[in-house]
Amino acid sequence: MAVAQPPLTAPPQVLGRFWRRSPMSLKIGGLILLVHLIVAATGPFWAPYGQAQMGAGLPLSPASFAHPFGIDQLSRDVFSRVVHGGHIVIFLAVSGTLLGLVIGAVVGLLSGYVRGWVDEVLMRFVEAIISIPFIVLGLLAISAAGPQLAGEPVLVIFVVALIYAPRVARMARSAALEIVTKDFITIARLRGESAWSVMRRELLPNATSVLLVEFAVRAGYAPVLVGSLGFLGFGMRPPTPEWGLMISENRALLIASPATVLGPGLMLASLIVGLNLFTEGLARILGRTVQIASR
Amino acid sequence: MAVETLLSVENLGITYGQGDEALAAVQGVSFTVAKGEAFGLVGESGCGKSTLAYQLLGYRAPSARVASGRVVFRDTDILTLDRPALERLRGDRISLVPQNPTTALNPGMRVGEQLAEILVVHGRAESREAARIRVADLFDRVGLPLPGRIGRRYAHELSGGQQQRVCIAMALACEPDLVVLDEPTTGLDVTTQEQIIGLLLDLRTRLGMSMVYVTHDLGVLAQIADRVGVMYAGFMVEVAPTDELFSQPRHPYTRGLISAIPRLDGGAVSGQHLRGYLRRSEIPPSGCPFQPRCEVSEPSCATTIQTLADVGPGRSVACQRWRALPPVPPAEPLPATAAAADGAEAPLIEVVDLTLRYGPRGWFGNLLGRPGPQVVNAATLAIRRGETFALVGESGSGKSTIARAISGLLPPLSGTIRFAGEPLAASIKGRNSDLKRQIQYIFQNPDASLNPRNRVSEILARPLAMFLGLRGEAGREKLEHALREVRLESGYLRRYPDQLSGGERQRVAIARALVAEPSLLLCDEVLSALDVSVQANVLDLLRALKRDTRVAMLFISHDLAVVRGLADRVGVLFRGTLFEIGAVEEVFRPPFHPYTHELLMAVPSAHARKRRTMTRRDAEAIAGAGCAFAGRCPWQVGKICEEQAPPWRDAGGSLKIRCHLPVADLADRAIWRGGDDERTTVGVAAP
Repeated sequence: MAVAQPPLTAPPQVLGRFWRRSPMSLKIGGLILLVHLIVAATGPFWAPYGQAQMGAGLPLSPASFAHPFGIDQLSRDVFSRVVHGGHIVIFLAVSGTLLGLVIGAVVGLLSGYVRGWVDEVLMRFVEAIISIPFIVLGLLAISAAGPQLAGEPVLVIFVVALIYAPRVARMARSAALEIVTKDFITIARLRGESAWSVMRRELLPNATSVLLVEFAVRAGYAPVLVGSLGFLGFGMRPPTPEWGLMISENRALLIASPATVLGPGLMLASLIVGLNLFTEGLARILGRTVQIASR
Repeated sequence: MAVETLLSVENLGITYGQGDEALAAVQGVSFTVAKGEAFGLVGESGCGKSTLAYQLLGYRAPSARVASGRVVFRDTDILTLDRPALERLRGDRISLVPQNPTTALNPGMRVGEQLAEILVVHGRAESREAARIRVADLFDRVGLPLPGRIGRRYAHELSGGQQQRVCIAMALACEPDLVVLDEPTTGLDVTTQEQIIGLLLDLRTRLGMSMVYVTHDLGVLAQIADRVGVMYAGFMVEVAPTDELFSQPRHPYTRGLISAIPRLDGGAVSGQHLRGYLRRSEIPPSGCPFQPRCEVSEPSCATTIQTLADVGPGRSVACQRWRALPPVPPAEPLPATAAAADGAEAPLIEVVDLTLRYGPRGWFGNLLGRPGPQVVNAATLAIRRGETFALVGESGSGKSTIARAISGLLPPLSGTIRFAGEPLAASIKGRNSDLKRQIQYIFQNPDASLNPRNRVSEILARPLAMFLGLRGEAGREKLEHALREVRLESGYLRRYPDQLSGGERQRVAIARALVAEPSLLLCDEVLSALDVSVQANVLDLLRALKRDTRVAMLFISHDLAVVRGLADRVGVLFRGTLFEIGAVEEVFRPPFHPYTHELLMAVPSAHARKRRTMTRRDAEAIAGAGCAFAGRCPWQVGKICEEQAPPWRDAGGSLKIRCHLPVADLADRAIWRGGDDERTTVGVAAP
C-alpha cells in the first residue's frame, strides 16, 4: 500500500525518470495505445473516405496502396472505415468498463465493510451472475432490453458494465476485507461515520491501486467483448464502423479479399495487445502481479 | 588476561542500492569478539545493526554489497568465502537466532524434524536414531518440557517463548563457536523474555560460546553482554564494557539512549532526551553523523569525521567532544503524582463486574456456535477526571479487550459500564455523538491507525467536522493548535503519514484524539511500537497533556517502567482477572501480588545488574474455578488456590490484592523492594 503519491503537476524531469524506470511492457503497451488514441482522435479528419461513403473503388478489390485494407461488398474503403471506427470502439470499451468499475467498486467495498447478511446476499447474487457465461449474459440482457434499444451505444455500454461489475465487486470486496482490519477503520467506526462515508474516505483511497489494475485488465478485454457483440449482430447497428461488426460483415470475403477482415482484426488485436501490455506494466509498478484475466 | 580473538570485524562498510541512491547502511565499523565473550550491539531502528549482524554469517540482502573491510572469523575472511564454504560455516560454526520465531520456523514441519535437519546437513548425526536422541537432548538443554515428545509438535502448537527456545536449540545444534542473536526477545512478554535471557546466560556459562547480541533494548544488554557497541547511522560510535557504559557513557548518543529508558523507580533524568530522530538526509557528508541531534556539538563536528579512539582501557568512542560532556546528573525521582482529584469526586468512568467474551453473539449464535473463551472476568475499576489508570499484564491478559468494551467495539457479556454516572450503551450505535466525542481511542501502531492516503490535515479535520461542526477556515486554527499541542509544526498538515517518522505518526494519532476534546483517552500500548528515544518524547507529551488538560486516561501497557512514570493508579491483569489495584506508589512497593512481583522481577533494568528469581518456569495455569494464576504461582499455598477464587484483601491505603495469602505474608515474601538500585523508592513513606 505504500505507493508514493505522485505530485499533481509532474515536471518534465520526473516524467523522464518515470519513463526510464518503467518496465518494458509498459513502454511498448503505452506506445501502441498512444498510436491507437491518436488514430482514434484524428482519424476522421484525415481518412481518405467517409465512414459509410460508397463508391470508393470496385467492390471486393484486394488490398492495394490506395486501399490498404481493400474494398468491401458495398464499395466502401475498409481502411477509412477502420480509422473512423477507432474512437467508437475505444469509447464503448472504456465507458462500459468505467461504469462496471464504479458499480462493482461501490458494491464490493460496501459489502466488504458492512459484512453480515448484506454481504451474504450481495455476494451470492454476484456469484450467480458470474456463473453465467458472459456472452450468454450479454445476449440475455440485450434481448431483455427489447428492440427499441438494440444497436444503441448505451445498451452496449450497459452490457459491458453488467458483465464486469460483479467481477470487479469481488476484487473490491477482497481488497476491502484487508483494509477493514486496519485501525484507522476502527477509528472511523468509533467516530460514528456512516458506511458510505467510510467507503468514500477510508476504503476507496486505499483500494485505488487494486481498482486501477482492475480497470486496466477489464478495459483490455472490453474491445473483444464489444467486438463479439458486434460480430454476433447484437452490438452496434450497421453501418457503424465498429470493428467487430465489420469483421462480421466481411467474413464472407475472407477468401476473396482477406484484407477486409484482417484489417479490422489486426486493429482490434493490436489494441488489445497494447492494453494488456500496458496493464501488466502498470500492475508491476503498483507492486502487484496480476494474472491477466482471460475472461 | 590474554583472550583469544574469535571474530574481528575490520573497517566494514555495507551499501544498499546503486549510484546516487546508494545508502551506506554500515560504515567503517570495527570490533572484535573474544572467545566466550558476549558482545552487544545496540542502536535505534535503522542504524544498521541487523545488516551488520547478518553479515557476520556472510549473508546480505541481494541489493546490498560490501563496500570495504573484512570479517575475520578464526583466521578466515568470511567475505571471501564462496557459497559452499559459507553453507558449511553457517549453522555449524556460526549460527543465528532470529527475531521472530513464528516466521523463522517452518509451519509445515514438526519442530523436531527441523532440528534434526540441521544435524544431518552438517553431518552431526550418523543415523536417524542418533539424531532423535540428540534432538531430545537439545530440547532438554533449552528447557522445553517433555523434550522427548515436543519434537512431534508443529510450531503453531508452541507458545512464543517455546518457539524461541526451539530456535535457540537449532542455533546450538552443532555447538557453534559464535551465536548471532537478532533481537531474540523483542516480540516476547516481559516474563518470557526474562526466562529466555536466563536460559542464554546459563547456556553461555555451560557451553562457553561467544555471542553477538543485537537489540534496541539497553536493559537487556545490561543483563547479558560483557561489552557493548553502540551504533548510530551505520557508524560504531562507542564500545565499552557494559558496566562502564551504563555508569559513565562517553558518547552523547549513548547518554541520550540511556536516559531515555524509563526507570522502574519512576526517576527520570530530565532534559536529557535525544532530540529529533535519525534522518539520513541530515547527516553531514563528512562529519559526525550525530551532529544534527547533539547537545554538545561544536561547529567543527559537522566537518570532521569522527573515528573510534581509545579513551580508556577497553573503551573507545567516536566523539571529539567526549571530554566536554557534563557528568551524568543523578536521577531525580518524579514529583509524586499529585492525586489527580480527591476521593470524593465521582468517577468519570466506572466499570463494574465486566465480563467479556469473543465469539458468536446473540441467541442464534449461542445456539449454533461454541462460545468463545472468556477473555475478561468480572473486572471492576473506576477512573476519575484527570486521572491516569494503567492496566498492566502480559499479552493475552485482556487489557485491550477492556478498552474495546469501553469504546463500544465489543458489547459486554455481563456487567455495566457507567460514564459520568450514566450507563453507557453497549455498542457505538447506541451512543450519541457527544459520547463518541468524549471517549477517544489511540492505537498501538500508528502505521495502521492513520489512513496512508490522507494528509495529516484531512486526518485531523474529520473529527473536527464530525464532532464540533468546524470546517474550512474555522477549523484551520484548531488544527494548528492541535499540532502544536503534540509539538509538531503546522507544516506537517500537508504531509502524508509515510512522510513522518514513527514518533511523529503517533503524535498525529494523539492529536486526532485530542481535537475531539475528549474527557477519556483509551491509550492502547501507544508507546510499544516506538524506539526508546522516541518513546521518551511521547511519554513526556502524555505527561504534559495529563497536567494541562485534565483528560482521564486508560493507559494500557506491558511496560512497568513506563507505567511507573505516568500512571496515578494501576491495575494488574492476568488472564482476564484483576489481581491487584491501587495507587501507583502502592503497587510498586511491597506487599505484592505474586504475579505483580513476578512482572517486576522480570523487568530487565539498565540501571542495575540482575538478581535471579525463583519462579516456576513455564507451568501452565489451571483453568477452572480457582485462582487464574494457580499453577504458575511461585507462592502457591496449596489446593485452595486451584479450587477457590481468591478474596480481595485490603493492603493499606487504596491498595487491594486478590490472593489467598494474607497481606503480611505477601509483604514478607517480596524480594523486590522497589527502585532500580535495590533501594526502597525514594520519597515514599513506609505504609
